[in-house]
Parts: sequence; C-alpha cells; structure tokens
Amino acid sequence: MIDFIRTEENPAHEGIHGYGVECLATRRTPVSPAELRDFAAALMAAVSSACFARGAKDIGHIKAYMEHETGFLLADTLGSPGDVTVKGKDGEAASSFRLVVNSVVYGLVPEAVREATEEALAAIFKEHGLCREPANHEHKGTTER
Amino acid sequence: MKLVQIAGYLGSGKTTLVIALAKRMAELGLKTAVIVNDVGEIPVDGRVMEEYGLTVKDIGGGCICCQVAGNMLKTVELLANGPRPDFIVVEPTGMAVPNTIRENIKLSAAKNNIAIGPTIVLFDTTRAEKLLTYDTLKRLVSTQLSDADIIALSKTDAVSSEALEKARAEVSRINPSAEVLGLSTHSGEGLADLVGAVREMVITT
Repeated sequence: MIDFIRTEENPAHEGIHGYGVECLATRRTPVSPAELRDFAAALMAAVSSACFARGAKDIGHIKAYMEHETGFLLADTLGSPGDVTVKGKDGEAASSFRLVVNSVVYGLVPEAVREATEEALAAIFKEHGLCREPANHEHKGTTER
Repeated sequence: MKLVQIAGYLGSGKTTLVIALAKRMAELGLKTAVIVNDVGEIPVDGRVMEEYGLTVKDIGGGCICCQVAGNMLKTVELLANGPRPDFIVVEPTGMAVPNTIRENIKLSAAKNNIAIGPTIVLFDTTRAEKLLTYDTLKRLVSTQLSDADIIALSKTDAVSSEALEKARAEVSRINPSAEVLGLSTHSGEGLADLVGAVREMVITT
C-alpha cells in the first residue's frame, strides 16, 4: 500500500464534484442476469434524475460497477435521456453482488451529489427488493494490484 | 519504457480507448501497465480494466493533477523499478489538467529513465457545443485541449460529417499545434494512428 499524500484541489475543477459509494446488495431470491441489467440501467437513470432535480447543470459521468461470483457489469450515463449503457459479463443469477457507484456532477455541491446518489440507491434497491449491507473492505486511496 | 497520458473531459471515452490501446499493444508483444484515476472516492475504471486482463494501478480519493499527485509519482516509480513495462498509460480523471500531470511526471521520468510520450486528449464530438460554450466547463475543456499533443475527436460514428468538421475546426482554433484525428472505438477509426503515435512520439520539452 502506498502512503496517502493529499494536496489542495486544482481551481480548474470548479463546480465539479464526485461521490463514491460501495456496498453489498443481497436478496433471498437470486437476481437474474436480465434483472441485474435492468437494475443497473434504472440506477443510472435515477441518479441522473435526482442530480438534475437538485439543480445540476450537467452530468459529468455516473458509473456503477456490479460484481458477483460469476459475472460483472459496468453501467454508465452522461445524463442525456436514453444514453445509459450497460455492458459486461452476465454470468448466472446471484443472491448477492458488490456494487460501486461513482457520481461526478457539474453544478452541485458535494453534499447534494451524495444526497442524490443515496436517494436513487434507496429507491432502486426498494424497487428490486434488495437489502443493502456494508462492503467488506475499506478503500485507502491507492490500490496495489 | 515510455509514459503516455490519455486525458479528456468526463465521459469522452478514455477508459474504452485505454482498453483498446492496451489490447493492440499486447498483440504487438508490448507490455502496458495502466495508472487510472477516478474522481470519486472509490475507483471503478480500474476494476473494469482488470476484467479485460490489463495490469492496473488505480488511484482514488482525488485528482492526480493536484490532490493525489504524489501518489501517482510513487506509482510510476514502483512500476519503473518493478515490472518495468514497455508503456505506462496514465488515465487521469476527466477534470484533470494534463500539463500539470506532465510537469509532475517529468521529474520522476528523468530519475527513472522513462521517456515521455504524447499527451492524447479526447474530445467528445457528441457534446461539442456544450463542452465549448457552457459556463466554466468551457475553461476546463479548453485548457485540456490546449495541453494536448494529439487531440482525438471521439465517437465520430455518432455524429454527422458536418458536426465532425465543426468540432475539428473548433479544437484546432484552441490548439493549432496539436495533431487532430477522428476516433471511434466502435469502428476502429483512428486507433492504428494512435498506436503509431504512442510508439513513435517522444516529447522532449
């Protein structure tokens, strides 16, 4: 692990803020590959809508990564209607998957980006009957692979 | 060993290009390691690249042009003194200022005998007007384009030829000295030219 070094943010980044969250999604009935794709697409659209509802000027990039024992998906959107993409390797139905969401938005304060992302997560988890649990590892800035 | 930067605003197609480029390099028998930086606290792109079989060092928690610049330099040194691949491709966040990264890297490059390759800046042609006219975005995107050795007009398969030519004229006005080429990772347009530039171009200043 590399020591974490942090300095001041570049003023060129003015108005752009990000929020990242990682969790485990679980459900007694396994989530089929098709439903996981629907979940991913709905989540991207929901985060985007929640950001615009809070006054975002533009979506920078919203991304989600879902990983389970036999597959993975990457979903993303730049905020325009219909531009959500979902790709990856479907694998088999899964009763749990790890989810990372990374929202980068132009024109919202950091707290609003967090609120919008969390609001969308809660709504889409509920819609799919998923339970949210903490991810089992901590991110520390730079990852050795 | 050479270090190349692939920069550009959020959503311009950097990760897709890095994956395509690294695959082409592997086909040519060249080893590539990728340093990828996400804006959010938890990196996503590095995980995706790993799924495609790339050697990845991911840096989260801030931008490598400023907040976590030191982490990037340490990572470059680890690669230079460890696996020493033929190429290190740095993919900064979409809000990074490329020249700041290049200036930081120069110090480490000299010490570790690393050549500096081109800074390739992607410009999303499907969002050209917004990126070049909208509020403070304009300032950031113009700065990124100004720092480029090569400007890759991305997603050319998704815009009309008129829109593409307009984008080409706009970016050339902002950075007249940059080489400008069209890029579509769907059709493969421009990829061979970029592979050639990455292999051959060395920046000396």
